Amino acid sequence: MISQNALHHAEKCRFCWMCRHLCPVQHQTGREVNTPRAKGLLLSMANKGTQPFDKDMAQAMYECLLCDACTNDCATGYQPPLFIREARTEAVVNELAPEAVMKLIDNALETGNIYGVEKPSYGQDGTDVLVYIGEVAAIQVPQMAKNLLAVLKKAGVSAKVLANEPASGVMLGDLMGYTEEVRQQAKACADAINAAGLPVVVLDSYDAEIMKQKYPEWGCEIKTDVTTATAYVAKLIASGKLEAKAGTGVQGACHDDDRLARTFHEFAPIRAMAKAAGYEVGEMFSREKLAKSCGTAVAYGYMPALVEKIAASRWEDLKRSGCAAMLTASPQAYLCLSLCVPEGKALVDLYAALV
Amino acid sequence: MNNILVCVKAVPATTSVQVDGQYRLKREGASLQWNIADESALEAALSLKDKDGTVTVVTMGPPKLEAPLQDLLARGCDRVVLITDRLMAGADTRATAGALRAAAKRLGPADLILCGRRAIDGETGQVPGELASALGIPCVSNVEKLEWEKDRLLLHRRLETGVEVLSARGPLVVSVCEYAYSLRLPGILSMRRARGKTVERYSAADLGLTAEQCGLKGSLTKVTAMESKFPGLRNGPKETDPAKGIQALRAMLREVQP
Ligand code: SF4
Ligand code: SF4
Repeated sequence: MISQNALHHAEKCRFCWMCRHLCPVQHQTGREVNTPRAKGLLLSMANKGTQPFDKDMAQAMYECLLCDACTNDCATGYQPPLFIREARTEAVVNELAPEAVMKLIDNALETGNIYGVEKPSYGQDGTDVLVYIGEVAAIQVPQMAKNLLAVLKKAGVSAKVLANEPASGVMLGDLMGYTEEVRQQAKACADAINAAGLPVVVLDSYDAEIMKQKYPEWGCEIKTDVTTATAYVAKLIASGKLEAKAGTGVQGACHDDDRLARTFHEFAPIRAMAKAAGYEVGEMFSREKLAKSCGTAVAYGYMPALVEKIAASRWEDLKRSGCAAMLTASPQAYLCLSLCVPEGKALVDLYAALV
Repeated sequence: MNNILVCVKAVPATTSVQVDGQYRLKREGASLQWNIADESALEAALSLKDKDGTVTVVTMGPPKLEAPLQDLLARGCDRVVLITDRLMAGADTRATAGALRAAAKRLGPADLILCGRRAIDGETGQVPGELASALGIPCVSNVEKLEWEKDRLLLHRRLETGVEVLSARGPLVVSVCEYAYSLRLPGILSMRRARGKTVERYSAADLGLTAEQCGLKGSLTKVTAMESKFPGLRNGPKETDPAKGIQALRAMLREVQP
């Protein structure tokens, strides 16, 4: 059942078509059905009964990164991710979601992560901060998690990592919308974090978003400070606890991931990290709030070929900027960008660069 | 098996409150939401049901409440009932409690009846007590935690001076504090289960109520005047100096609540 609020958003469009120029999915597929606008139109038709909500419509709702670029740009306040999440719930309830999506959901419900494997243990039991690693870094980009912990150690910060870190709920929420199953994951995660009683440093900005925005709404607020790892490390640099490195002579551009760019509007910390790591900071054309998504881990899980194309398009942006290195501190961005690093260009994990 | 009945009220969203010429809230055009303390009561009921029992929801209001009631089925409620009839318009707390009593009787025995402790529109907090009195059963008010202890309920009741824990056996009416529980989201399984269910509708006649027992006619009280004491954010004095601003705020509060 799609809520009135979601339908209200789906109906808001004034057909200016600006959004079709900025949707990273539509850029790659070229299909009309992949424009943000079309998704609203489809849902509206399903609501009016002029189109069935069938497998094709469900498929269209999953061909979206929930990157929020359209929301950021639309002058009418149209928010596709809001109704797309509800449409995904509808697809799962009515068993219309693509098989690859259902496999990830089953994994997440059974094992707590979409990969269906056990998360590694870090054996860290520090006392200053709790580092929330997240399932993408823990399983897909483990080196970045280790590098962040090494950076903190170098700055004299005693970090703890939960032994059996619970899922934040963000992956499940992207796959099937915000349902009670997602809230239960969130609650278990908040309970574990609150039991630790330490300020939280969150490596993956997607996890940070759900913790800061949804947990309070769902009655499972984290009682201590929640900070993105990039903001925390930038503070360590500013306070002199983490020393800047000598210049590398390499010009790099920072990739602003979807959540840092459009939820937290956090642009300076990653650039401060790049400078402290010795990079000359250049810029890509689409950056900060207008940053183009390079894909997400969850989308890569069910449409890998399309995500690789989307990541390749981000590399094209880097080529146009004239920079030699793509700098990132996001595990999800690192995962996607690493799929297709062009010759002569480097993908840099900024935590590794700061160790 | 515990049968729990939850009485909920749809109130205007706090951003869209309007009053008609007879000092009644305009509910027709307004966007409605479940009263926050009633959501708390609903979650308390669903939490008890997680162990055992059934949850039936009853509300009184316009037909457009069918969709939000369907949503409650998707959140795990077993049965939802809408009392809707033009005769019921303008009901005060006594007429409301009368309609709820009639619905409770028709729905069959409940071990526990939960209500929010007060609604954010009328703010009277009278319905739970009136309903209990009409049904001839006890009422425990201002409860912020409910748990089963064998066949008895432990009720944690908020007082001005602390928390009182009572042990009670049903049937009884309990009014639950706002924010004591956060209402769960619809779950995939409960949404699937809810697909085949519908909202049951009762009219005044279905409940055996006459026109004299309903709405304005069945009410003992009537709002005869209403006055806004709040100067309004836009119309109030503007101060840019913090110290002067605090003084102005103090003066304003004294004026509103002498
Ligand atoms: S930018 Fe907004 S108004 Fe314009 S076409 Fe897209 S959704 Fe519609
Ligand atoms: S959220 Fe991103 S991927 Fe989805 S429709 Fe909007 S711009 Fe396209």
